[in-house]
Amino acid sequence: MTTRDLVLAALFAAIIVALGLVPPIMLGFIPVPITAQSLGVMLAGVILGAKRGGFAVLLVLLLVAIGLPVLSGGRGGLATFASPTAGYLVGWFFAAVVTGYCSERFVDRSQNGLVQITGFFLAALLGGVVVDHALGILYLAYVTGTGLATAFIGDLSFVPGDVLKAMIAALAGRAVMVGYPLLPQRA
Amino acid sequence: MKTLYVEGDTFLHRLSPRAKLLGLAMASLFLFVIHSPVVLVVAAMFGCIVYASLRLGWRQSWLRLRPILLTIAVVALFTLVLNGQHDALVVVTRLTALALLAAAVTATTSTGDFIDEITRLAMPLERLGLVRAADIGLSIGLVIRFVPEILSRYQAIRDAHSARGLKVRPLTLAVPLIILTLKNADEIAAAIDARGIRAQK
Repeated sequence: MTTRDLVLAALFAAIIVALGLVPPIMLGFIPVPITAQSLGVMLAGVILGAKRGGFAVLLVLLLVAIGLPVLSGGRGGLATFASPTAGYLVGWFFAAVVTGYCSERFVDRSQNGLVQITGFFLAALLGGVVVDHALGILYLAYVTGTGLATAFIGDLSFVPGDVLKAMIAALAGRAVMVGYPLLPQRA
Repeated sequence: MKTLYVEGDTFLHRLSPRAKLLGLAMASLFLFVIHSPVVLVVAAMFGCIVYASLRLGWRQSWLRLRPILLTIAVVALFTLVLNGQHDALVVVTRLTALALLAAAVTATTSTGDFIDEITRLAMPLERLGLVRAADIGLSIGLVIRFVPEILSRYQAIRDAHSARGLKVRPLTLAVPLIILTLKNADEIAAAIDARGIRAQK
């Protein structure tokens, strides 16, 4: 990794942390707050690609682990990884990597705007919704022993919010690519 | 940014970070293998004793543990309704014990100690050529350095919106924030390289 890649990842990690200072919205009494931070995770993949985006999210998780209250609502510390919803948190890393990888595959600078936005949307949907939620559900079901079906139903209420975030990530990703292209190109 | 570390001189403070992290890893393995409610109740009580030994006081402890305890309570409630008393007791005691032990490690290990320990843990990865261990400390420093900068930029963009009578929307906020921030990367990278901070080999 070049110094520039390292700095880009660190700056994006700082953006994700800053997004956590927007207050989270609790939906009903299902224990996963809706945060702008998961939007930041999708953006990391869409804008920086798999490698640097994944590293940016890894840095955020590292900051959580070493006891800095960088998650929304001032959460942090190792106890966060002991929470029943830790699967969603660890899933962020895989979400950023998958989103980044798909973005590099789907989106090309020569495409027209609508195709690019659709490509970014699909990438963010696959990484930020499918992968992250799958890991979150698996861990929640494992920890509580309630079974996959129950965990899946509990999860469903967060899907619309995250689909909306994938849409925002796609529009923002395309706007950033026009203004300051960073996404590595892959054949 | 204020860390969750609390200064002190308890037994846990004096224990080496590696011993604490290893202990926590062993405890989490043990807690997930055990299914007997009696053992788990004892484990949860042990967690309480460990956490109490930090002498943080009721108020401080509640403020720190509130988010995770609430999450556990809601999950336990769901388990109680769906799977009955036995499973709910297992879930509550197991997660509470784990949360208390993890919070105790966090409260007694400073950020610097953690970074040193992570750098040392990354050494085998460095030998494999995957990462440079020293980069981890550098990146963490960079993140902590730039969060306040990004927040002030966020405020500036908000002000620019209201000065022009525009409504603040996620998109019109995020895009300039990201472009402004990432455009700094070249200068910062040049500054790091000019100082020879990463110049090994």
